[in-house]
Formats: sequence, structure tokens, C-alpha cells
Amino acid sequence: MTAETLDGAASAPLAGVPNSLVRRLGRALPALPGLAVLLFLFLVPMAIMFVFSFWRTNNDFRLVPDWNLDNYARFFLEGTYLRTFLKTLVMGSLVTLATLLIGIPFAYFLVRYTNRWVQRAILLAVIVPFWTSYLVRVYAWQAILGEHGALNQFLMGIGLINQPSTLFNYDDPGVFVVLTYIYFPFAVLALYAALEKFDFTQLNAAQDLGARPDQAFRHILLPQIRAGIITACIFVFIPILGEFLTPTLVGGAQSSLIANLVVNYLRQAQFAEGGALAIIIAAFVTVVMIVFRKSLRVEDVVTSG
Amino acid sequence: MARGVSPLETMPVSRFARQIRWSLIVLTGIVLAFLYLPVAFLILFSFEEAATPGFPITGLTLHWYQVLAADSSIQKALFTSAEIAVVVTILATIIGTMVAFPLVRGGVRAPGTLRLLFTMPIMIPGVLIGIGLLIFFRQALHLQLGLSTVVAGHLVFTTPFVVLIVAARLQGFDRRLEWAAADLGASPWRTLRYIVLPLIAPAILAGALLCVTLSIDEFVITFFTIGPQQTLPLYIYTQIKFGVTPEVNAIATVILCATLLAFALGSVLLSGGRRLRRRARA
Repeated sequence: MTAETLDGAASAPLAGVPNSLVRRLGRALPALPGLAVLLFLFLVPMAIMFVFSFWRTNNDFRLVPDWNLDNYARFFLEGTYLRTFLKTLVMGSLVTLATLLIGIPFAYFLVRYTNRWVQRAILLAVIVPFWTSYLVRVYAWQAILGEHGALNQFLMGIGLINQPSTLFNYDDPGVFVVLTYIYFPFAVLALYAALEKFDFTQLNAAQDLGARPDQAFRHILLPQIRAGIITACIFVFIPILGEFLTPTLVGGAQSSLIANLVVNYLRQAQFAEGGALAIIIAAFVTVVMIVFRKSLRVEDVVTSG
Repeated sequence: MARGVSPLETMPVSRFARQIRWSLIVLTGIVLAFLYLPVAFLILFSFEEAATPGFPITGLTLHWYQVLAADSSIQKALFTSAEIAVVVTILATIIGTMVAFPLVRGGVRAPGTLRLLFTMPIMIPGVLIGIGLLIFFRQALHLQLGLSTVVAGHLVFTTPFVVLIVAARLQGFDRRLEWAAADLGASPWRTLRYIVLPLIAPAILAGALLCVTLSIDEFVITFFTIGPQQTLPLYIYTQIKFGVTPEVNAIATVILCATLLAFALGSVLLSGGRRLRRRARA
């Protein structure tokens, strides 16, 4: 049932009451506190950050209304920022690809090959880490990737390396593994929700009509779980644009992502410069969300917990 | 047992069906190991004797849990986190539930846009919200940062979760129940109190529970909006960043168990609600 029909039906028993402005205001009233939160704690701060991003931070770390575009020009002209941004995009894409490559067969197996109880149990096992502390989950990897961690001990044990490698602890591969670990549950939830709605007899029908299994997969299954795949991509890719903790905790000096640079600015009280960089990320996120808003199923991920 | 041949069984089955099935099973096993191995090592290390956690395990001890129990700064941080979580949960649950009604039942002009707006704080990385609020509070309003600014920061991203969860439940709500109540003479307030709220209570509860865990766990937004106080995640962060002690493993294990307990409690409550609803429908 769509919202319109619900709405129409709702006013039916109260048909005698004129649909006056007062009544409409009365119905919208409960949304006001929520709108206030959204407006004053989200939209207004973002707008103010946008305005400040055209100002300058003077030598006393005060923002002065000296309008300029330098903070944005720096992003495009100084190599570090653009390079780090591109690196973040690459890291985000790789992690997204990894979660999809693992997540699609995983969700497919759940939906297709297991009974209801096993399905629920495994899904629960995937969701539980999503409910535990982010910091704890990142930190837990030190037990494996760290210098005295399980991986190094194992590799040394089988004689592949002689001394503990820092490749996983203080470099990009470690960041990649941990990010994949952190965002995998989101991807699975989105993909599972999409696959669960799919009627698998369609695959049989396609093959009955002469399609090879890979053709059936590509032309029948994939288009129908497209929204789920896009949702999974967005839920993995976008948070990585704001990741600064994992690079700080498991990465080294070289593994900074774009959000690390924003945080560095803020540490030095350079609000205008950091704000501009934050606005660039926020603009990117907003564009992605608006482009894919039709396919984005936030509820699939959020309400399945 | 005689059984007819289902049309599905006459379908061509891939020659590799068995291999596909087994590789999927192996994949699932590896993925689950991938998800739980770090946690398992973490728990193991929390019982490790040596002060530098790592292999080989030298001996098992409860020492770090005793250290934890005696550490007053952890308890203070935990108390601060709980304080924030309680206020945030109460506010976000009430505000979010209120928003869900006009969002689902009409009363706002553009529910689609509003819905997108309310999903923004969920999707926008926390670091941007945190920095935006920091600049807003410090540079525009010239406020002192403290617990109230943290609560404000947490409200931004917890309220939308409640909105989405309660709205999803309201969407499937059978409005004839309300009309029946109204028909029988109940005031709108009584209908809300005795019909609507009890039926959407599981969703409200789930939203509240999610708020508690999100708020207790939140690091990034807290990091930017807090004053001199310390919450549990901030404490853990400093511990991890500057000087790894096995104490952190012990805290992490305790947090893990607490979350699991809350999660189990939540699912029991939720499935209870689901059963009730099914009975109501029958």
C-alpha cells in the first residue's frame, strides 16, 4: 500500500472535518522537534562550515571574513590533497569490490542453499559484530596483524619470513583488510535483502528457454538485485571517505586517507582550511546519494538488526 | 513415500552443482572465520599473562580484569558514556517516533525529500558531522564544549535511525484498528495510547536499543564535540594509541559481552513483539 492510499483512507472517517490549515499544521506538528534537530544540528552547521570555508584563519587562529577561494584552490593545486583524495577513492573502490565479491556469493548461498534457521543464525552472526564497538573491532586486528600478532607468528613459523613484517600493521594492505572487515556486514545485509525478494524459479525458466547459467545470472538475476548492489556499494564506499580512525590505528604515516587530512587541519585549529576539505567530501557524498536515491534502500540495512 | 516429480527436478542441473555447493560452503566458513577470528584472539589475549600481548601465550591470568575493576578512570568514563547514552536515547526515541507519524501518514509536504534528508545524517561520515558541529559550537556560537554538546552531536545521527525503524513499522500498520477504536468512542489520545503505541512498541524499543549502542559506541562525533570529559570510547582510544596494555583487551572483552547481552535481550524482546503481532493478526 502506498503512502497516498493510506493518506486518502485516513481522512475518510473524518470527512466532516474541513481540511483546514490548522488541521494540516496539527498533523505536521509532531515532525517539528525532529526537523529542528535536523536543521539546527545538521544543516545549519554544514552551511556555516560552507561559509567559513571561504574565510581565512589568521595568525591568532581566529576566523576572519576575508573572502577567498584559496582553501579550495589548494585542494586542486597542491598535489598532496588531490593525491590523497584519489587514493581514498581507490581504497574505497577496492574495499567495495572486495565486499561485493565475497558478499554476493555469501548472500546467494544463504538465500539459496540454507534453511530458515541456518539462514537466521548465519545472518545473526554477521550482524553481531556490527553491534559491537567499532574501536574494539579495529583494535582486535592488532592481535592478528600486529608485530607479535598471529599472522606474523604463523608466517615465521612456516619459515616464509625471518622477522616480523610491518606490511600488515603499518601499511595500506592492513588498512584494506580492516576496512573490508568493518564494512562487510553492511554489504551482506543489503545484498541479502535484495536476493531474498528474488524469485529463483526465474533462473530455471531462463535456462529452460535456453540461457546458459552465466547468461541467466547476468540478464535475469543481476538486474533484479541492482538496487541491493548499489545500496551495498554506497554503504561501504561512502563511510570510507570519512575514515580516519582505521588509517590512524592500523596504518602508518603513509596510509593517510582524505579524512586524516581534514582532522590534521582541525588539530591545528585551521577551521577554514579543514572546513573546505570537509565540504568537498560532503558535496561528493551528497551527489552520490542524490544520483542513487531511487536505488538506495537504507531501511534494508538499518531495520534488519 | 510416494511423491510426484516436481517440475523443478526435471530442470537441467549444472554438472558443477556439487562443486558450486561445496565452494559456497567453504566460502561461508572462511567468511565467518574472518569475522570472528580477531574477536577470538582479542578474548584470548585478555587472559594473557605477559604485559605485551602476542604469541606465544605465556600463561593465563585474570590479572587484567582485576586491574580493570580497580581502575577508577575507566569507571568514570563508563559512567559518563552511560549518562550521555540515557539522555540521547530518551530524546532521540521520542523525537524520532514523533517524526515517523507525519512522514508515513502524510501531513508533511514532501515526504520523499524529508526521508532523504533524514537519511543524510546516517550516510554522511561522522567526521563531517563532528567537524561541522565543532565549528558551529566553537566558532559561530562560542559555546563551551561539554556533555550537552556531545548529546546534541549524538542526537543528529541517532534520531534518523529511530525515524526509519518506527516509520517502517508504521507503514505496515493496519489503520482499521484505529478507526474501530474511534468508532467505539475512544478519543484520539486514548487510541494512540492503547492501540497504536502498544502495537508499534517493538519498533520503538528496537530504535531505543539501537540508540543506546550507537551512543555508547560513538567515538568520532564525541571526539569533536566533547570538552575535558572522557567517555569510554575516548578512553579506549587513548589506551590503544598511546601504550598498548592487555587491560584494553579486558575492557574490549567486557564491552563485547555487554553488547552481546544487550543484543540477545533486544532480539528476545523484538521476537516477543513479533509473536504478539502475529497473534493479534490471527
